[in-house]
Amino acid sequence: MNEKDSDILSKVENYYQDYGLRARELKDQGQKVIAYLCSLVPVEIISAAGFLPFRIRGDVHEPITKGDTQLETIACPFMRSCFDVSLKRRYDFCEGLVLPHACDSITRTYSVWRYSLDLPYSHFINLPHTVRGPSMDFFKAELETFRKSLGRFAGKEISDGDLAESIDLHNENRNKARALYELRKSDPPLVSGTEIATILTVGMRLPVKEANNLFDEVLEKLKQRKEAPFKKAPRILIDGACVDNIDFFKLIEDSGANVVADSLCIGTRDYWPKTEVGGNPVDTLAHRYLDKINCPRTYREKVGETYQEDLESRFGDVGSLIKEFNVDGVILYLYKYCDPFGFEVPARKAYLDSLKMPVLYLEDEYSTGTIGRLRTRIQAFLEMIGS
Amino acid sequence: MTQYFAGIDIGSTMTKVVIMDSGIIASNIGPTGPEQRRLANKVMEKALKEVDLAFEAITYVVATGYGRINVPFADKQITEISCHAKGVANFFPEAKTIIEVGGQDCKGIKINNGKPVDFVMNDKCAAGTGRFLEIIADALGIKIKEMGEIGLQGNNPAKISNICTVFAEQEVVARLAEGVPLNDLVAGILESLANRISRMVNRLHVAEEVVVTGGGAKNVGLVKALSDKLGYALAVPPEPLLTGAVGAALLGKDIADKDLQDGVSLQTKERSLKEIKIF
Repeated sequence: MNEKDSDILSKVENYYQDYGLRARELKDQGQKVIAYLCSLVPVEIISAAGFLPFRIRGDVHEPITKGDTQLETIACPFMRSCFDVSLKRRYDFCEGLVLPHACDSITRTYSVWRYSLDLPYSHFINLPHTVRGPSMDFFKAELETFRKSLGRFAGKEISDGDLAESIDLHNENRNKARALYELRKSDPPLVSGTEIATILTVGMRLPVKEANNLFDEVLEKLKQRKEAPFKKAPRILIDGACVDNIDFFKLIEDSGANVVADSLCIGTRDYWPKTEVGGNPVDTLAHRYLDKINCPRTYREKVGETYQEDLESRFGDVGSLIKEFNVDGVILYLYKYCDPFGFEVPARKAYLDSLKMPVLYLEDEYSTGTIGRLRTRIQAFLEMIGS
Repeated sequence: MTQYFAGIDIGSTMTKVVIMDSGIIASNIGPTGPEQRRLANKVMEKALKEVDLAFEAITYVVATGYGRINVPFADKQITEISCHAKGVANFFPEAKTIIEVGGQDCKGIKINNGKPVDFVMNDKCAAGTGRFLEIIADALGIKIKEMGEIGLQGNNPAKISNICTVFAEQEVVARLAEGVPLNDLVAGILESLANRISRMVNRLHVAEEVVVTGGGAKNVGLVKALSDKLGYALAVPPEPLLTGAVGAALLGKDIADKDLQDGVSLQTKERSLKEIKIF
């Protein structure tokens, strides 16, 4: 083992703790940084324009103060925290902001974001709510608009060749992320859920080539683990939206479980689907972001005759993960006021029930202040499925 | 040599201790103490004194309740969900659903053979808990112990629409000023609490036999209102405050029995009956 290898995990940890570190360094070297929220912004287009796509993170340790002077507290606390730390100039190295028509909390606050941050570049991507033909045509046109608008800001035309190259690099990144998941299949897993969450979060704020190199180094390092450093314990899948902090993973693993899989935005929802290679790059990107990313903000036509068939077509990917990773229990974890996920909690639970999968549903603030009451629920759930 | 097992349930308001051999031989209930669980060890001391036992004579101690973490006098911590399931099944072997109304939370537990198979807990605030009743009793100038009986005499329960404890308190005071009789007002409060609890518990698909436990089970008016809302007769244990501690002691006994069966020696901690210090 060389010195570089032994350092790689602490480098990741460092990047996680000081989330803007690398972007700030690059900005000082002349790199322009474009901030974005949510898995529905096509980062390939931002990279192809020569910008660094930087996924905004909230901070569960920072009370929301400044942000709440401009937003109502009925909005999603995760988005409010992202807005709060942005207002507090934590990401002041960014020169642009791209938000998608994702959930209500993001969509309805775009104008507040735009005027409050007052960045040289802002763009809103209008994703339609269904995946049918006319919606897909609309979304392709919308992505063309984004490509042109960003090209104007970059002072260069984003060619099909640029896009194809960027798609390849981001696909490569997703392959490497998937390789990390392979290490979770053994029992006990070779890598903890907390470690994976740290690595994947960090990956979304580095230039894609750099993220690819980092993932390679991490993979090489983790593959050297001959024996799992963790005990055998109930294997948990976390289902939900965007969890961009490791505290929740740590709480579960400290309570005596291994988090082995997820269907989260900073997880399989975003890292698994790849963009098709070949053909018109905007068309293939449109397919990835509108259809392949399985987010409840997009309505999917009912498939089949029965409710069960409908559930299967909506949540079958979660079922596959449960099988693939030999999961013992699911924790469905949402932040309060999450409109797209909140509405479908009963359907998600019904689907998991049909698989005879124990499920614990937790609705949380975006704050570490709730850890005590979450711990009791998680421990009780683990006692329940462990006995 | 007789083996003794102790269960200690450190709740937000009360600490409950049970000492068992083959059955319950001693129990004690005392306040958890305003200074962060400081009095929990005193409750244990008193129970031990009752049967003239030294703390060292206890084979295994299980702590439960919200104050279970960092207890210096327990061998193991188990959540109150598992302990209530075990404790209730001890009194009601056929129980399928438990409703526990505690000081700072309330929960519904589905059980099978004394083990939880699903549970729900109140999420956000004091609504639906014993604390809610304490605050309202205070606002009305009545004793919490009398509340159930007073409520039973209300024939025309007042409608209380606020869920938030603070706003409900304001609403109650306003109704009182409007001249709503005390009986009807209390009946209305218990009904609103029962509404809130039953809505939560109904997510579990309630099945008989249903047992109510925790401090709320001592309120006859609340138990009746809950029974009406849910449409089931409700069983109440002889001492509803003790089911968690009984379950804790029994789960400790299970652990000791299993280890004996497996031929491994019981893992105990170095414990002492000291005051809990968290600072």
